[in-house]
Amino acid sequence: MPHKCVRCNTLFVDGSKDLLKGCSNCSGKFFFFVRKEALEKAEEIGNRLTEEEKIQIERDALEIIGSDVDPDAPIILDLESINIPSSGKFELDLVKLFRGEPVIYKLEEGKYIIDVAQTFKNLKGKK
Amino acid sequence: MIKKLKLFFKEMFFIFNVKKSVKIGLYGPPNGGKTTLANKICEDWIGEEMGVASSVPHETREVKIKESVVIKSRGRELKFNLVDTPGISTKIDYEDFLSHKLDVKEAKQRAKEATKGVIDAIKWLDNMDCVLVVLDSTKNPYSQVNITIIGNLAARDIPVLIVANKIDLKRSDIKKIEAAFPQYPVIGISATKGNNIEDFYEEVFKLVKRR
Repeated sequence: MPHKCVRCNTLFVDGSKDLLKGCSNCSGKFFFFVRKEALEKAEEIGNRLTEEEKIQIERDALEIIGSDVDPDAPIILDLESINIPSSGKFELDLVKLFRGEPVIYKLEEGKYIIDVAQTFKNLKGKK
Repeated sequence: MIKKLKLFFKEMFFIFNVKKSVKIGLYGPPNGGKTTLANKICEDWIGEEMGVASSVPHETREVKIKESVVIKSRGRELKFNLVDTPGISTKIDYEDFLSHKLDVKEAKQRAKEATKGVIDAIKWLDNMDCVLVVLDSTKNPYSQVNITIIGNLAARDIPVLIVANKIDLKRSDIKKIEAAFPQYPVIGISATKGNNIEDFYEEVFKLVKRR
Protein backbone atom coordinates (compact mmCIF):
# COMPACT_ATOMS: atom_id res chain seq x y z
CA MET A 1 0.00 0.00 0.00
CA PRO A 2 1.61 3.34 -1.01
CA HIS A 3 2.14 6.21 1.42
CA LYS A 4 1.78 9.92 0.80
CA CYS A 5 3.89 12.56 2.58
CA VAL A 6 1.62 14.96 4.46
CA ARG A 7 3.87 17.94 3.81
CA CYS A 8 4.86 17.60 0.15
CA ASN A 9 2.45 14.95 -1.17
CA THR A 10 5.24 12.69 -2.50
CA LEU A 11 4.16 9.06 -2.89
CA PHE A 12 6.28 6.24 -1.51
CA VAL A 13 5.84 2.52 -2.11
CA ASP A 14 5.15 0.22 0.79
CA GLY A 15 8.33 -0.69 2.68
CA SER A 16 10.22 2.37 1.43
CA LYS A 17 13.12 3.49 3.64
CA ASP A 18 11.72 7.02 3.55
CA LEU A 19 8.92 5.89 5.84
CA LEU A 20 11.50 5.25 8.56
CA LYS A 21 14.03 7.99 7.79
CA GLY A 22 11.62 10.72 6.71
CA CYS A 23 10.61 12.03 3.30
CA SER A 24 13.61 12.34 0.94
CA ASN A 25 11.99 15.40 -0.64
CA CYS A 26 11.08 17.55 2.41
CA SER A 27 12.23 15.57 5.49
CA GLY A 28 8.62 15.33 6.67
CA LYS A 29 7.79 12.41 8.91
CA PHE A 30 4.06 12.23 8.59
CA PHE A 31 2.61 9.96 5.90
CA PHE A 32 -0.85 8.80 4.92
CA PHE A 33 -1.97 5.49 3.55
CA VAL A 34 -3.37 5.77 0.07
CA ARG A 35 -5.84 3.18 -1.10
CA LYS A 36 -6.10 2.56 -4.82
CA GLU A 37 -9.60 1.12 -4.34
CA ALA A 38 -10.84 4.51 -3.11
CA LEU A 39 -9.83 6.16 -6.38
CA GLU A 40 -11.52 3.51 -8.47
CA LYS A 41 -14.69 3.78 -6.36
CA ALA A 42 -14.84 7.55 -6.90
CA GLU A 43 -14.69 7.00 -10.66
CA GLU A 44 -17.52 4.49 -10.47
CA ILE A 45 -19.74 6.95 -8.56
CA GLY A 46 -19.04 9.64 -11.15
CA ASN A 47 -20.27 7.37 -13.91
CA ARG A 48 -23.48 6.54 -12.04
CA LEU A 49 -24.64 10.16 -11.57
CA THR A 50 -27.70 11.41 -13.45
CA GLU A 51 -27.56 14.61 -15.50
CA GLU A 52 -29.75 16.32 -12.89
CA GLU A 53 -27.37 15.33 -10.09
CA LYS A 54 -24.39 16.55 -12.09
CA ILE A 55 -26.04 19.96 -12.61
CA GLN A 56 -26.79 20.20 -8.87
CA ILE A 57 -23.19 19.31 -8.06
CA GLU A 58 -21.97 22.04 -10.40
CA ARG A 59 -24.22 24.55 -8.66
CA ASP A 60 -22.91 23.42 -5.24
CA ALA A 61 -19.30 23.83 -6.34
CA LEU A 62 -19.91 27.26 -7.82
CA GLU A 63 -21.69 28.36 -4.66
CA ILE A 64 -18.74 27.21 -2.52
CA ILE A 65 -16.23 29.04 -4.72
CA GLY A 66 -18.27 32.21 -4.78
CA SER A 67 -16.15 33.74 -7.54
CA ASP A 68 -16.63 34.39 -11.24
CA VAL A 69 -15.82 31.15 -13.00
CA ASP A 70 -17.33 30.20 -16.34
CA PRO A 71 -19.07 26.87 -15.63
CA ASP A 72 -19.17 26.05 -19.35
CA ALA A 73 -15.39 26.08 -19.68
CA PRO A 74 -14.04 22.81 -18.31
CA ILE A 75 -10.50 22.84 -16.97
CA ILE A 76 -8.83 19.48 -16.95
CA LEU A 77 -6.02 18.80 -14.52
CA ASP A 78 -4.51 15.73 -12.92
CA LEU A 79 -5.16 16.76 -9.37
CA GLU A 80 -8.02 17.83 -7.22
CA SER A 81 -8.50 19.14 -3.74
CA ILE A 82 -12.20 18.56 -3.42
CA ASN A 83 -14.18 15.71 -4.84
CA ILE A 84 -17.98 15.86 -4.95
CA PRO A 85 -19.12 12.27 -5.50
CA SER A 86 -22.79 13.29 -5.36
CA SER A 87 -24.88 16.27 -4.32
CA GLY A 88 -24.34 17.14 -0.64
CA LYS A 89 -21.28 14.87 -0.31
CA PHE A 90 -17.77 16.32 -0.25
CA GLU A 91 -14.36 14.67 0.06
CA LEU A 92 -11.49 17.00 0.85
CA ASP A 93 -7.79 16.44 0.19
CA LEU A 94 -6.42 18.20 3.23
CA VAL A 95 -2.79 17.81 2.13
CA LYS A 96 -3.39 19.87 -1.00
CA LEU A 97 -5.56 22.39 0.80
CA PHE A 98 -2.92 22.91 3.51
CA ARG A 99 -0.22 23.31 0.88
CA GLY A 100 -2.19 26.22 -0.55
CA GLU A 101 -2.52 24.61 -3.95
CA PRO A 102 -5.29 25.87 -6.22
CA VAL A 103 -8.69 24.85 -4.95
CA ILE A 104 -10.01 22.54 -7.62
CA TYR A 105 -13.40 20.91 -7.58
CA LYS A 106 -13.76 17.61 -9.36
CA LEU A 107 -17.35 17.38 -10.56
CA GLU A 108 -17.13 14.24 -12.60
CA GLU A 109 -14.48 12.53 -14.66
CA GLY A 110 -12.75 15.06 -16.86
CA LYS A 111 -14.61 18.11 -15.61
CA TYR A 112 -13.16 20.42 -12.97
CA ILE A 113 -13.75 23.91 -11.65
CA ILE A 114 -10.89 25.99 -10.28
CA ASP A 115 -11.20 28.74 -7.70
CA VAL A 116 -9.37 31.28 -9.86
CA ALA A 117 -9.35 34.06 -7.28
CA GLN A 118 -7.69 31.82 -4.68
CA THR A 119 -5.20 30.47 -7.21
CA PHE A 120 -3.97 33.96 -8.03
CA LYS A 121 -3.79 34.80 -4.34
CA ASN A 122 -1.63 31.71 -3.75
CA LEU A 123 0.67 32.62 -6.64
CA LYS A 124 1.05 36.16 -5.30
CA GLY A 125 1.91 34.81 -1.87
CA LYS A 126 4.65 32.56 -3.26
CA LYS A 127 6.47 35.41 -5.05
CA MET B 1 23.96 42.09 35.74
CA ILE B 2 24.11 41.00 32.08
CA LYS B 3 21.63 38.21 32.87
CA LYS B 4 19.26 40.73 34.48
CA LEU B 5 19.53 43.04 31.47
CA LYS B 6 18.85 40.13 29.09
CA LEU B 7 15.79 39.17 31.12
CA PHE B 8 14.59 42.77 31.13
CA PHE B 9 14.88 43.09 27.35
CA LYS B 10 13.27 39.68 26.84
CA GLU B 11 10.28 40.73 28.95
CA MET B 12 10.05 44.10 27.22
CA PHE B 13 10.16 42.35 23.82
CA PHE B 14 7.44 39.96 24.99
CA ILE B 15 5.17 42.78 26.16
CA PHE B 16 5.81 44.76 22.97
CA ASN B 17 5.04 41.75 20.78
CA VAL B 18 1.87 40.89 22.67
CA LYS B 19 0.59 44.40 22.10
CA LYS B 20 0.81 43.80 18.32
CA SER B 21 -2.49 41.89 18.54
CA VAL B 22 -1.47 38.24 18.73
CA LYS B 23 -3.87 35.93 16.87
CA ILE B 24 -4.65 32.67 18.62
CA GLY B 25 -6.57 30.19 16.45
CA LEU B 26 -8.76 27.34 17.59
CA TYR B 27 -8.33 24.40 15.22
CA GLY B 28 -9.40 20.78 15.20
CA PRO B 29 -11.88 18.24 13.92
CA PRO B 30 -15.64 18.87 14.25
CA ASN B 31 -17.23 18.40 17.68
CA GLY B 32 -13.97 18.64 19.59
CA GLY B 33 -15.30 21.63 21.53
CA LYS B 34 -13.61 24.60 19.82
CA THR B 35 -16.62 26.91 20.10
CA THR B 36 -17.40 25.69 23.63
CA LEU B 37 -13.83 26.61 24.62
CA ALA B 38 -14.06 29.96 22.77
CA ASN B 39 -17.28 30.66 24.68
CA LYS B 40 -15.66 29.67 27.98
CA ILE B 41 -12.72 32.04 27.37
CA CYS B 42 -15.04 34.88 26.31
CA GLU B 43 -17.45 34.31 29.20
CA ASP B 44 -14.57 34.24 31.71
CA TRP B 45 -12.89 37.42 30.47
CA ILE B 46 -15.42 39.44 28.46
CA GLY B 47 -18.68 38.23 29.92
CA GLU B 48 -20.28 37.26 26.62
CA GLU B 49 -20.45 34.21 24.34
CA MET B 50 -18.60 34.01 21.01
CA GLY B 51 -20.76 31.59 19.00
CA VAL B 52 -23.32 28.83 19.07
CA ALA B 53 -22.07 25.38 20.10
CA SER B 54 -24.11 22.25 19.45
CA SER B 55 -23.85 18.49 19.21
CA VAL B 56 -24.62 18.62 15.47
CA PRO B 57 -21.31 18.38 13.56
CA HIS B 58 -20.14 21.47 11.65
CA GLU B 59 -22.17 23.94 13.72
CA THR B 60 -19.43 26.55 13.14
CA ARG B 61 -19.17 27.07 9.39
CA GLU B 62 -17.55 30.52 9.31
CA VAL B 63 -14.34 31.85 10.81
CA LYS B 64 -15.22 34.06 13.82
CA ILE B 65 -12.95 36.57 15.54
CA LYS B 66 -13.20 38.07 19.00
CA GLU B 67 -10.80 40.99 19.25
CA SER B 68 -8.88 42.21 22.28
CA VAL B 69 -9.47 39.35 24.70
CA VAL B 70 -7.46 40.04 27.87
CA ILE B 71 -6.68 37.16 30.23
CA LYS B 72 -4.85 37.42 33.55
CA SER B 73 -2.77 34.91 35.47
CA ARG B 74 -0.32 35.38 38.37
CA GLY B 75 -0.35 39.14 38.04
CA ARG B 76 0.37 39.09 34.29
CA GLU B 77 -1.88 40.20 31.44
CA LEU B 78 -2.19 38.76 27.95
CA LYS B 79 -4.10 40.47 25.16
CA PHE B 80 -4.96 38.59 21.98
CA ASN B 81 -7.48 38.14 19.18
CA LEU B 82 -9.28 34.81 19.46
CA VAL B 83 -10.13 33.11 16.15
CA ASP B 84 -12.67 30.27 16.18
CA THR B 85 -12.58 28.17 13.01
CA PRO B 86 -14.89 25.57 11.44
CA GLY B 87 -14.04 21.93 12.16
CA ILE B 88 -11.65 20.37 9.66
CA SER B 89 -12.62 17.04 8.12
CA THR B 90 -11.77 15.02 5.03
CA LYS B 91 -15.33 14.00 4.26
CA ILE B 92 -18.58 15.90 4.65
CA ASP B 93 -21.74 13.91 3.91
CA TYR B 94 -25.20 15.45 4.21
CA GLU B 95 -26.58 12.02 5.24
CA ASP B 96 -24.65 12.33 8.54
CA PHE B 97 -26.81 15.35 9.42
CA LEU B 98 -30.14 13.65 8.76
CA SER B 99 -30.03 11.87 12.14
CA HIS B 100 -29.86 15.33 13.78
CA LYS B 101 -33.40 16.21 12.66
CA LEU B 102 -32.36 18.17 9.58
CA ASP B 103 -34.26 17.62 6.34
CA VAL B 104 -32.42 16.75 3.11
CA LYS B 105 -32.38 20.34 1.83
CA GLU B 106 -31.05 21.73 5.12
CA ALA B 107 -28.50 18.90 5.41
CA LYS B 108 -27.18 19.51 1.88
CA GLN B 109 -26.92 23.24 2.54
CA ARG B 110 -25.04 22.52 5.77
CA ALA B 111 -22.64 20.17 3.94
CA LYS B 112 -21.94 22.85 1.34
CA GLU B 113 -21.29 25.54 3.96
CA ALA B 114 -19.16 23.15 6.02
CA THR B 115 -16.96 22.41 2.97
CA LYS B 116 -16.44 26.12 2.39
CA GLY B 117 -15.72 26.43 6.12
CA VAL B 118 -12.89 23.87 5.93
CA ILE B 119 -11.27 25.77 3.04
CA ASP B 120 -11.59 29.08 4.93
CA ALA B 121 -10.14 27.59 8.13
CA ILE B 122 -7.09 26.37 6.22
CA LYS B 123 -6.69 29.72 4.41
CA TRP B 124 -6.69 31.47 7.80
CA LEU B 125 -3.87 29.32 9.17
CA ASP B 126 -1.15 31.57 7.73
CA ASN B 127 -2.54 34.50 9.76
CA MET B 128 -2.18 32.69 13.08
CA ASP B 129 0.58 33.41 15.60
CA CYS B 130 -0.31 30.49 17.88
CA VAL B 131 -2.79 27.63 17.64
CA LEU B 132 -4.83 25.70 20.15
CA VAL B 133 -5.63 22.30 18.66
CA VAL B 134 -8.82 21.20 20.40
CA LEU B 135 -9.34 17.43 20.48
CA ASP B 136 -12.07 15.30 22.01
CA SER B 137 -10.14 13.22 24.56
CA THR B 138 -12.70 10.41 24.38
CA LYS B 139 -11.82 9.77 20.73
CA ASN B 140 -8.86 8.11 19.03
CA PRO B 141 -6.29 10.87 18.36
CA TYR B 142 -4.58 8.96 15.50
CA SER B 143 -6.76 10.38 12.74
CA GLN B 144 -5.83 11.77 9.34
CA VAL B 145 -7.30 15.16 10.27
CA ASN B 146 -5.34 15.49 13.54
CA ILE B 147 -2.06 14.38 11.96
CA THR B 148 -2.54 16.74 9.00
CA ILE B 149 -3.33 19.75 11.18
CA ILE B 150 -0.47 19.18 13.61
CA GLY B 151 2.00 18.22 10.85
CA ASN B 152 1.23 21.41 8.96
CA LEU B 153 1.50 23.60 12.04
CA ALA B 154 4.96 22.11 12.65
CA ALA B 155 5.94 22.82 9.03
CA ARG B 156 4.85 26.45 9.48
CA ASP B 157 6.66 26.81 12.85
CA ILE B 158 3.46 27.92 14.56
CA PRO B 159 3.51 27.21 18.32
CA VAL B 160 0.90 24.64 19.28
CA LEU B 161 -0.91 23.74 22.48
CA ILE B 162 -3.01 20.60 22.29
CA VAL B 163 -6.18 20.93 24.33
CA ALA B 164 -7.55 17.52 25.35
CA ASN B 165 -11.17 18.48 25.92
CA LYS B 166 -14.04 16.62 27.63
CA ILE B 167 -11.94 15.23 30.52
CA ASP B 168 -15.12 15.14 32.59
CA LEU B 169 -16.31 12.18 30.50
CA LYS B 170 -15.54 8.61 31.57
CA ARG B 171 -13.97 7.52 28.28
CA SER B 172 -11.53 10.46 28.32
CA ASP B 173 -7.90 9.38 27.80
CA ILE B 174 -5.34 12.23 27.84
CA LYS B 175 -2.42 9.81 27.90
CA LYS B 176 -3.39 8.51 24.48
CA ILE B 177 -3.22 12.07 23.09
CA GLU B 178 0.13 12.68 24.81
CA ALA B 179 1.45 9.42 23.32
CA ALA B 180 0.21 10.37 19.84
CA PHE B 181 1.86 13.81 19.85
CA PRO B 182 4.78 13.57 22.31
CA GLN B 183 6.56 16.65 20.95
CA TYR B 184 3.70 19.01 21.97
CA PRO B 185 2.36 20.20 25.31
CA VAL B 186 -1.04 18.73 26.12
CA ILE B 187 -3.48 20.20 28.64
CA GLY B 188 -6.61 18.34 29.70
CA ILE B 189 -9.73 20.43 30.32
CA SER B 190 -13.48 20.36 30.27
CA ALA B 191 -14.64 23.49 28.44
CA THR B 192 -18.23 22.79 29.47
CA LYS B 193 -17.58 22.24 33.18
CA GLY B 194 -14.52 24.47 33.49
CA ASN B 195 -12.27 21.69 34.84
CA ASN B 196 -8.56 22.61 34.94
CA ILE B 197 -9.27 25.93 33.20
CA GLU B 198 -6.80 27.91 35.38
CA ASP B 199 -3.95 25.62 34.28
CA PHE B 200 -5.14 26.03 30.70
CA TYR B 201 -4.81 29.83 30.91
CA GLU B 202 -1.32 29.40 32.35
CA GLU B 203 -0.44 27.22 29.33
CA VAL B 204 -1.78 29.90 26.98
CA PHE B 205 0.74 32.37 28.47
CA LYS B 206 3.53 29.83 27.83
CA LEU B 207 2.26 29.23 24.29
CA VAL B 208 2.40 32.92 23.35
CA LYS B 209 5.90 33.19 24.82
CA ARG B 210 7.12 30.41 22.51
CA ARG B 211 6.31 32.27 19.28
